Amino acid sequence: MIPIQINHLKKAFAGTQAVNDISFAVHQGEIFGLIGPDGAGKTTTIRILVSLLTADAGQVLFKGRAVHKNMAFVRSQIGYMPQRFSLYQDLSVEENMHFFGDLFKVTRYEQKERMQRLFSFSNLEPFRKRRAAALSGGMKQKLALSCMLMHDPEVVVLDEPTYGVDPVSRNEFWNILKMLSEQGTSILVTTAYMDEAELCNRVGLIFKGRLLAHDEPQKLTNHFDHPLYLIDSDQSNKLYDALQQTPFAGDCHLFGEGIHLTDRQKRGMHAVRTILDEQKIDYRSIKPITPDMEDLFLELMQDAKN
Amino acid sequence: MQRILYLIQKEFRQILREKMYLGLIFGMPFVQIVVLGLAITTDVKNVPMAIVDYDHSMMSRRMARAFGETESFNYKGHAASSAAARQGMDEGRIQLALVIPQHFERDLKRGRTPTVQAILDGVDGNSAGVALAYANQIALKLQRDWLLQSGADPRALQDMHLVQLETRMWYNPSLQSVNNIVPGIIAVLLMAVTAFLTGMAIVREKEIGTLEQLMVTPIRKGELIIGKVVPMLVIAFLLFNVGILAAGLIFNLWLKGNLFTLYLLAMIFSMSTLGLGILASTVARTQQQAMFIAWFFMVFAMLLSGFFIPIENMPDFIQAITYLNPVRYFMVIIREIYLKGTGLMLLIKEGLALLAFGLIMIITASMRFQKRIS
Repeated sequence: MIPIQINHLKKAFAGTQAVNDISFAVHQGEIFGLIGPDGAGKTTTIRILVSLLTADAGQVLFKGRAVHKNMAFVRSQIGYMPQRFSLYQDLSVEENMHFFGDLFKVTRYEQKERMQRLFSFSNLEPFRKRRAAALSGGMKQKLALSCMLMHDPEVVVLDEPTYGVDPVSRNEFWNILKMLSEQGTSILVTTAYMDEAELCNRVGLIFKGRLLAHDEPQKLTNHFDHPLYLIDSDQSNKLYDALQQTPFAGDCHLFGEGIHLTDRQKRGMHAVRTILDEQKIDYRSIKPITPDMEDLFLELMQDAKN
Repeated sequence: MQRILYLIQKEFRQILREKMYLGLIFGMPFVQIVVLGLAITTDVKNVPMAIVDYDHSMMSRRMARAFGETESFNYKGHAASSAAARQGMDEGRIQLALVIPQHFERDLKRGRTPTVQAILDGVDGNSAGVALAYANQIALKLQRDWLLQSGADPRALQDMHLVQLETRMWYNPSLQSVNNIVPGIIAVLLMAVTAFLTGMAIVREKEIGTLEQLMVTPIRKGELIIGKVVPMLVIAFLLFNVGILAAGLIFNLWLKGNLFTLYLLAMIFSMSTLGLGILASTVARTQQQAMFIAWFFMVFAMLLSGFFIPIENMPDFIQAITYLNPVRYFMVIIREIYLKGTGLMLLIKEGLALLAFGLIMIITASMRFQKRIS
């Protein structure tokens, strides 16, 4: 049975189409990442899935059952970690975990066992008596994750769990997710960080309520069928402004290491160089690079706009 | 059922951890009762006054002495003329001036009716009215004394049938407004705690996002509401008792009636205010909003409850509105039980009204409270 299946989902708020005809499925034991900028429709999709919102149209199935008709089933089976979730600050790590275990009627004996297991990969054991308020951002997220795992759900849904978390803790968090998926847990996670896409088994790129593409990260970047060049310069900002006057306007994007230029017409690097020289644009070097998820996303976004 | 207990356990853990919360719960009633009990007073005491004596007779001096002796007035001394008295009033030094005309004693002895003029600062109309009544009382008493001493024929005096009004105030013999205000404060405290704290306890979970998490657990809507409300009820109950204790210890005002009758009716009353708190939490997104909504309704409820403005003084249509105010009924109940010791059977009408409001509020609030996001 497919843990999560969403078909042609639509949802509008006061005239804005927050989710527009989205379809995807999350298979058993995989990490599916829903990736897109703020306001793309990630949270709305997730909330419909966990039965907090009702859909306008489309089908949302959880373990093969329609979510809106089986709310109690969904709520007792799914593990859900809302966006910017920050727990009970005045309760200790242990108390927070017990509370959620209790709500799902997990026996104290089972809770004890489960807590040991969760501590083994969250490394929160030394802090079990510490109040949630006194934990670091990364530890808080790990605690939130532990709380939602207290009832041992087979399917977990996390809405931007790594938002605002430092890179080291983010890495640690993703390792835990990976471990869970290897144990057979199906995971749907949203994020606005493109670099987290490579950590998912499959990703869906979402923008303005539409799912632009979904597949394995490698396959997705292989879809990127235009040559891509990195142009290096001392003053990337100036270079970027200058490029807006060339035929490449809209196909170049500012990155940390320089400018990524998509050669949509497949002119070839030599032709690109000629154009840049003709326009008397100043740059240090230009070289072809392999596209990553962010390049793909920017290109798909551009396509969606056109 | 068990989940409710877990939720209650969690709430108490959180409450007990917040030291400020506890201080507020147990310190607040004492402070409120002391400050408000003493501040909200309709007693008129120490009204600064002056006497303009154009007569300079024995009788006019006795009148001055009579005013100087009472606690109600603070006799500031003679003013040379009406104009001087007026100036004193303009400058705010006195609020009452008594003008004794020339030939006051002579006219009195000859059986004419001399007129003493009382000039009052009417800015605070309520106190002015009370002060005037006090002044009349003193004048009346003086008159009676003089008549007896005047050596007039006793038989003639008997024929005069002077009216003698003997007032006896029951239930609050010393007519202290404290006795009326303090039970009112206890009622308002109960209202504030149940409405504010409930609203805030729910909205706080909304703010930190835990409510969204709680929604996606098997816990039912009813369980969630009960789990949130019961701890607040316990706190309100404690606070209510602290209030009763404070009233007794500070103002020596102890309950005349049955404590359990009061508990029962207070419980019924709390349904309305808890409902208000829950309703506020369904509308508000932040604690400030919840507080503001609860506060907005509470101010109306308090002003229209007869707490310090008698309902009989209000215009008819406002009086009609007060029937829709649950606090109005509870204000009657708590004062009746406190001051008269009225039993449950005589308060049944108010009790039923409260029950009706309570049920309406709780049901509406529960219906509005959704385990979904709107």
